[in-house]
Amino acid sequence: MFDNLINKSAAKSPWLFHINAGSCNGCDIELVAVLTPRYDAERLGFRLAGTPRHADIVVVTGPLTAQIKDRVLRTIEQVPEPRCIVTMGSCPASGNVFKDGYTYAGPLSKYVDVDVDIAGCAAKPETVLEGLYQAAMILEQKRKDMKNKGGQI
Amino acid sequence: MFNPMWLFYILVFPGALFCFVAGTLLNGLDRKVYAKMQQRIGPPILQPFYDFMKLMGKETIIPYEANKTVFLGAPVVGFVALVTIMLLLPQFGFTAFGELNADMIVIIYLLTIPAASIIIGGAASGSPYAGVGISREMVSVISFELPLVMVLLAIGKKAGGDGVTFSMKAIADYQAANGAMICQWSMIPAALAMLLVVPCEVGCHPFDVAEAETEICEGPLVEYSGAPLGVFKLNYYVKQLVVSALFAALFLGGKGTGIVAADAAIFYGECLLVTFFSMTLIRATCARLKVEQVFKFYWTVVAGLALVSLVLAWFGL
Amino acid sequence: MAFDFPFVKEALTQMFKKSSCEEYPFKPKEAFPNYRGRIVFHGDRCIKCGLCEKVCAGGAIHNVLISEDEEKEVYERTFDLTSCTFCSYCSDFCSKSAIELTGDFHMTGTKHEDLLVKGQYTKVKKKPVAKAAPAAKAESCDNKAE
Repeated sequence: MFDNLINKSAAKSPWLFHINAGSCNGCDIELVAVLTPRYDAERLGFRLAGTPRHADIVVVTGPLTAQIKDRVLRTIEQVPEPRCIVTMGSCPASGNVFKDGYTYAGPLSKYVDVDVDIAGCAAKPETVLEGLYQAAMILEQKRKDMKNKGGQI
Repeated sequence: MFNPMWLFYILVFPGALFCFVAGTLLNGLDRKVYAKMQQRIGPPILQPFYDFMKLMGKETIIPYEANKTVFLGAPVVGFVALVTIMLLLPQFGFTAFGELNADMIVIIYLLTIPAASIIIGGAASGSPYAGVGISREMVSVISFELPLVMVLLAIGKKAGGDGVTFSMKAIADYQAANGAMICQWSMIPAALAMLLVVPCEVGCHPFDVAEAETEICEGPLVEYSGAPLGVFKLNYYVKQLVVSALFAALFLGGKGTGIVAADAAIFYGECLLVTFFSMTLIRATCARLKVEQVFKFYWTVVAGLALVSLVLAWFGL
Repeated sequence: MAFDFPFVKEALTQMFKKSSCEEYPFKPKEAFPNYRGRIVFHGDRCIKCGLCEKVCAGGAIHNVLISEDEEKEVYERTFDLTSCTFCSYCSDFCSKSAIELTGDFHMTGTKHEDLLVKGQYTKVKKKPVAKAAPAAKAESCDNKAE
């Protein structure tokens, strides 16, 4: 009875967890700009969660350095299902200008399934909002799939 | 002597179901107005409901080091305690469990249980962040308990006449006879103190030292996920309703209209007002305080305000 | 004092003002002038000098040979937007303005292919010098694209 409602709610209240995997801080401030009054992501239900356990969408910025790789993967594992992984900016998706560096361990898609890529260096807040909105829709789909598979909730 | 109305009271109005609906709506309105104050559009009013439903559908992870029973049981205990307070509060002429003749001491104890459930749940999760969080939660409980007890003493003295009364019924009767408590000028400092106790009791923004998201990762709730977290969030919403209803019952009582439905509508309208002034407005205009600042603020300013009322009430003013 | 209410007036007046939000995902929006967004490659203008690949810091530009016959080779040039820093060096260095950074900022994708911009250009094979020396100059500018 409540399944339909839960599926719909999954798209309407996605909570974000932001991981900085060696980012230059450019994408980080753009992500915060999305939550400011001008773009106000909260009207779509987005909220920054304090811990990975509360999160639905993991936003990774930065090129995934060798030092932080294990921590990022461990943090992503702690997020309960259904979850979405979003790479923000060019770095986590490809390494960008750091791709030949000796500290570079990415891209992120080598280790986990990335759901949405947001391009830009740094990404424009509108683009981020669009990508996160896309991720919220994927979240609803994932919740449906999870239920159909008979997964534990 | 079982009364079939009791089941209705406990389960529907003003019990579990009503607490759920009114709590989520109240929190939704609070968030909407809060967003308006910051020139934002804000989330839809049903947003807390969506949050709750979503958390119900998430996977529940129980940490390896946690005590499973306590970890999962703590949020439910808090919710039950909050619903119990709702049953004991007089709403003008109507009290769900009026025959019990509950007094304020019961309510003080019951108000501590949600905070205690957060402390117990956090301690059971075995996370160091939760450890910091529960110590902060204890500090905030200690800080608001003193002014709260002083406010209640002042009201008890005022309503009791010669002696001190702790009966909620006596306070409701006094207000029905003499008009709302807030209209007595000697009670205005106590009302202000109580207005400032409300946000700390609920744990909302400037006083949410225990659940500071940016500092200690939501403190005691750090390991919670899925349904138990949903119930904790629900506790937060219901706590907003219950504590503002307590304020309304203590200070904004009166004769009422005599019709239960109209009385209830006025009563929860008052709750909305209290929420606006004590939570939304303060939340929108203040930054989070430090632990020692909260403690100092409550034991000097707020306790001072309550003391003024207490002294005035003692001299029969 | 640790506690005062400095912004109460501000908060109360703003409650009745119109919100300053941009309702972006529900209302379309134009990017600011000179915004550097999604790349558009005009293959017909390209003279395959290769300067864009050389100046690209992120290594976002790749060429793949897709077909070849006796007269011409057709290459596909891929701009990987996930590797791009949108510095616009490629378009600045392009003497024929074959690369353009548009104001389109809708650059999200669920697959990697969503963020690739592709374009084809043709390289006409030079005939041996002894055969037709005077015609060589004219032919080299004759590009057939896409």
